[in-house]
Amino acid sequence: MSEFATLASPYSMPAALHGDVALTDDSAQTRSRALNQFLAGVELKAFKIAQASLRHEDDALDAVQDAMLQLARAYSERPAEEWKPLFYRILENRIRDMQRRRTVRGRVISWLPFRGDDDDDEMDPIAQAPSPEPQPTKRLELDQAMTALEKALGELPPRQRQAFMLRTLEGLDVAETATAMGCSQGSVKTHYFRAVQALRAQLGELYV
Amino acid sequence: MSPVNEPLTDFERNARRVLEESVARLDGRTRSRLNQARHAALEAVGRRPQAWWRSYTLMPTAGAAAALLVAVVLWHREPNVEAPMLEAHAGVVEDMDLLADSDALELMDGWDGSFYEWAASQSDANAESDG
Repeated sequence: MSEFATLASPYSMPAALHGDVALTDDSAQTRSRALNQFLAGVELKAFKIAQASLRHEDDALDAVQDAMLQLARAYSERPAEEWKPLFYRILENRIRDMQRRRTVRGRVISWLPFRGDDDDDEMDPIAQAPSPEPQPTKRLELDQAMTALEKALGELPPRQRQAFMLRTLEGLDVAETATAMGCSQGSVKTHYFRAVQALRAQLGELYV
Repeated sequence: MSPVNEPLTDFERNARRVLEESVARLDGRTRSRLNQARHAALEAVGRRPQAWWRSYTLMPTAGAAAALLVAVVLWHREPNVEAPMLEAHAGVVEDMDLLADSDALELMDGWDGSFYEWAASQSDANAESDG
């Protein structure tokens, strides 16, 4: 968050006020660099948050891509401090839209006499390339913990899951989470508290 | 920066560690696609969505405005169109009223020419006797 504080000043003044084309270009480049840095910093966590809600890799990628595009098109000139809550607000709206569309599509498909399978993804060897990993025993423990956490997160009500992911994984504070979720700070605290209670009840023995 | 405004519990710290580890272990394909998406977004900085989207958004409003305009035009033209028609067809309408008058038809059905001839002769006779 603090790295964007120094970048906020160029955006607070419209470029046209400078009256200098070169300066305007510099400002645009600076803004583009700052946005690139911001998106690079949030994209992996945003994908994980979208995946926890949508439980589908391609849909999660689409949601993150749409959120990036909308932020860049509509809000790139806003102060950089506002980007993170704005981005997650856009992402959550996109996730909700996709969930609604998926529900409608499911209803329609259930009425069709034939149902095509979407599992036409080919195995991509690059996709399976492992990232740097910990020791095998440690990895096994983490695998179990991850599987259990993802399952438990999937069973949470959407707002609780959203509050938990935004605060625990992304590190948003209560005010930023409230902006991202479009609700009051009190609601955020309630959702988060209930999420932690539910997860602890289910996973306590794995996580303590 | 703390993710919450209060100190994290052990459970929250562990959950965060597991989530961060799962992020760190995302595969190359996902990272590559996110990278592509980011560059596509950066190319779109400052660009607004396509104009066709706006036109689709405004279509219901434009349709309603067009319908209102047509209604207003027709309403203003109505008296100019109907007035000469009424004048031209006034005689026809009068005849239609006569034909549609059921009393008149009953009189026609009960036409008795001899009675009217007798009544006329009586009238003439009375005039001669008075004179």
